[in-house]
Amino acid sequence: MEQILANGLYLGAQYALIALGLTLIFSLMNVLNFAHGQMYVFGGFVTYTVVAQFGLPFIVGLVASAAVLAVLGGLIEKFLFRPVIRRSKREESTMLLAAGIAFFLDAVILLLFGEKQRGVPKIVNGVFNWDMRIIMPYDRILIGILAITLIVSFILFMQYSRTGRAMRALAQDRMAAQLMGVDVDRYSMIGFALGAMLAGLVGGLLVTITGINLGMGGPTSVKAFLMIMIGGAGVISGAIAGGFILGMMESVGLTLLAAYGDITYLVIFATLMVFLAIRPQGLMGKPWG
Amino acid sequence: MKRRVFLATTGLSIALAVTASSAAWAENAKLKIGFVGVTSGPAAAWGISNQRSMETRAAWLNELGGVTIGDTTYDVEIVPFDDQKDPKRAIAGMEKMAQDGIHYVVGPNVDDGAAAVRPVAEQNGIMYFPYAFPKELYTPPASNAILGMVANYQSGPAIYKHLMDNAGVKKVAFVAANESDPLSQRDGGVEAAKALGLEVVSDSVTYQVDTTDFTPVLLPVIQSAPDLLVLSGVSPANAPQLIRSARELGYTGLISTETAQDATVLMEGAGDLANGFISVGGASTPELASDAMREFVDRYTNMFGEYNDESNTKVYALEYILETLKANPAAIDDVEAFKATMDTFEAPNPFMVGDAKLTYVGTTSFGQKRQVSVPLVVNEFRDGKFETLFVAQVD
Amino acid sequence: MALRLIGIGAFLLGVFVLVPVFIAVTGRWDFYYTLTSVALLSVGAAGVWLTFYIGRINIGQGAYALVGGYVSAILVMKAGFSFWVTLPLAGVACALISVVIGLPILRLRGVYFAMVTLVLTEVARLTALALPVTNGAKGITSIPLPGELSILGLTIIPDFAGLANPKLAFYLMGAALMALTYLVLWRIVNSRLGHLCRSLQQNEELAASIGVNTAMLRVLAYSISSFFGGIAGAMFVAISQSIYPSSFVVTDSVNFMLYCFLGGLGYVFGPMLGTLLLYFGWDLLSVAKQYQLLIYSGSMIALMLVLPNGLLSLFDKKESRQ
Repeated sequence: MEQILANGLYLGAQYALIALGLTLIFSLMNVLNFAHGQMYVFGGFVTYTVVAQFGLPFIVGLVASAAVLAVLGGLIEKFLFRPVIRRSKREESTMLLAAGIAFFLDAVILLLFGEKQRGVPKIVNGVFNWDMRIIMPYDRILIGILAITLIVSFILFMQYSRTGRAMRALAQDRMAAQLMGVDVDRYSMIGFALGAMLAGLVGGLLVTITGINLGMGGPTSVKAFLMIMIGGAGVISGAIAGGFILGMMESVGLTLLAAYGDITYLVIFATLMVFLAIRPQGLMGKPWG
Repeated sequence: MKRRVFLATTGLSIALAVTASSAAWAENAKLKIGFVGVTSGPAAAWGISNQRSMETRAAWLNELGGVTIGDTTYDVEIVPFDDQKDPKRAIAGMEKMAQDGIHYVVGPNVDDGAAAVRPVAEQNGIMYFPYAFPKELYTPPASNAILGMVANYQSGPAIYKHLMDNAGVKKVAFVAANESDPLSQRDGGVEAAKALGLEVVSDSVTYQVDTTDFTPVLLPVIQSAPDLLVLSGVSPANAPQLIRSARELGYTGLISTETAQDATVLMEGAGDLANGFISVGGASTPELASDAMREFVDRYTNMFGEYNDESNTKVYALEYILETLKANPAAIDDVEAFKATMDTFEAPNPFMVGDAKLTYVGTTSFGQKRQVSVPLVVNEFRDGKFETLFVAQVD
Repeated sequence: MALRLIGIGAFLLGVFVLVPVFIAVTGRWDFYYTLTSVALLSVGAAGVWLTFYIGRINIGQGAYALVGGYVSAILVMKAGFSFWVTLPLAGVACALISVVIGLPILRLRGVYFAMVTLVLTEVARLTALALPVTNGAKGITSIPLPGELSILGLTIIPDFAGLANPKLAFYLMGAALMALTYLVLWRIVNSRLGHLCRSLQQNEELAASIGVNTAMLRVLAYSISSFFGGIAGAMFVAISQSIYPSSFVVTDSVNFMLYCFLGGLGYVFGPMLGTLLLYFGWDLLSVAKQYQLLIYSGSMIALMLVLPNGLLSLFDKKESRQ
């Protein structure tokens, strides 16, 4: 039991961090960023290149991932999403753009980093073993703690910094924020860069544990969609809740349903659909987000 | 209005340019061999290692002056098609091969694609070499598919038997991704294990291919305390993570798979924890590789920057096509002649030391010779390299 | 009106006469399969477009295509039905399932609906893997080609297995299906039902307040949409003569949606054009080898920047652009 909870917590922390970036972008611009998973993969490869190829310390790789992705995100927002959003009649149209960017990043990743699975050596060795009740390798604990630290600092940033407040205002009511003198373009760009940066950071963190390959992008996006759907789209607390709930569901579900094997994920997904049918806006979402 | 005309003409000229460029190659005597497989997206590694093996070998042969079949010397040209792991695209790829007058195609890489291209291949007289295991592709009335590697239902029993005899394995557990190929391979593996008298302690656990943490997946499996953990149809991306999670959960038994893996990927992803991992490979371990195989690896590395050990099993299909064509030049545009030659064909295996032979096998499994005979080389991972555990033959 | 008739005539002429003539002249026989795929995928995309028309983003058409394919395959292989009977049955089965699923989930809007339908595709795949009737992971293979269809001894469609060129037959079949689908779609859009759908797209509460039965209308549109998905899936199975749980996956669902976006959400024939461009474009780009995906996605992004409202918005005259 303790093991299941520990697994769920660890999974939840990494999931929540992925979902945060996605939900931030969604709340600011109403864009469902299909390319989020690819950004995560990109971040992972940047860390891999810095750490495994250049032989620099892990933290440098992590910073590099964050920086590269933040710049990439900012550019994508300024030169791609902004003009399209301004000119399209239905805002869903950005989905095609997002999907195009996802494909494009896939292609770039394949050309730049190759098709192989990549990983960097463990940053700490050893396994924490509490009387066989909780078994958790130290590097996982470290990554889990780092993820939670990042989540907390993100919340603090959103809550107390000027930029964070501006972005929250923007998310609540774009028009009102604009009227109150918030520079919408500027903060949309910062928000997108921040969201992309978060994706890159998770990629950099997880490359030490799960490694990275170019196929992980699409499925990661879909998983992140699930999380923000559980928690409520566009709500920060919702994304965190969604991440932890999905992590727990997988951890518990996989254990309880192990005997039935093939249907584990079927049950997880079906439960989600039923849950949403009952609560259409997720746990904490605004209705009709 | 002008803008519209402009866009229309650009579109048209691009379309024309594309069709023109695709019709331009036809000067020298070229022998086109097709490749239909997945070279983008999540499973890109399978197809890319496959396509690059073919391209490496083709460039090498052309450098040596080409391949002489009958009285004509040909330059080998590989025509690739990316099916994106989508069976519908795979059909389109096979149609394109037929259009190009190609009769020999390597691929597709997965079960559904291989099944989907069967009607096209049979209607257009194309022999194809899938890396997919369903028996109905190779048993009559199907006759145009040739299995390009050793199937799991052939390698699995050999590995289990070896481990029963040499490592005292009694209890075995299976884990597979919840996709067609791995699940079919798991079912085949379970059957084989039971037939050998092994106790199957867990065979129902599956995982999504995009899993980022395998601890919850493996927890119930490890609790069933197997001596051998089989990762059925595991992709090279998932293998190191599964191994690592299993070891970190305190599992000390053996781990094996029936698919080909890459040593670098294992080393990066699992490090020393992967030591002792058993997988199926080709003939590139130092004990077995011939000079030709070593040169192949060098050339591949020079062309593409980095070798992929999965290519060890994928170097053969092109060789078989070319050697069979040499044995019977009439087969160059007549697959019936090819099929007739297959029954008696024999040529030396250039990639292995000793007197290994290239022949077609499969009578036991399929009732007809529809499989390339590649050595069943079972490898053990040790400190970043593969070591040969044992070698067997499939009949 | 006369102009419209000429347009339809030109379209039918192009599809049924000019394309076969073009292929016969150039000898590009491989285009038949690609164009058949385009026709069938655009049938599925037509369904997605219809759900867009009531203001719902549908990323679940792959699920219905898969269900349709399995219904047809199972009826042919296990119950010995003729393929031609299973074709409409596949559509009907999907429509029925979509009513059951649609009733609860159509209450969702925006991204929530989109994401539930995305999950639906995965649910369909996992169900196909788990059920015994679908033969699980091993799929259903060696499905016979469509047989003869005759009414009162009169052969309407000959036995495909006896044809010298089943490719052409499949193409004509697919094109006919496409023409029929878009005729139906066009009729729907220009009928009372279409007006009601538009009112839903703009403001559901307002529509409900003036007495439109929104729940019923949503389910109706969604089931028609799923019907299209089902028959498209069934036809594909007849061509590939096999079906696996992975025959239609999330990628297909996403693609169906992209076809609609690319063509333009405001235009009935948008999805058809979008499918043609995206699907055919990929095939043509295969000459670019490893840069195929790069060029493909690059042009997709470029198109979106130039024409964010879809390709057909090129022909909008009244729209002023800045």
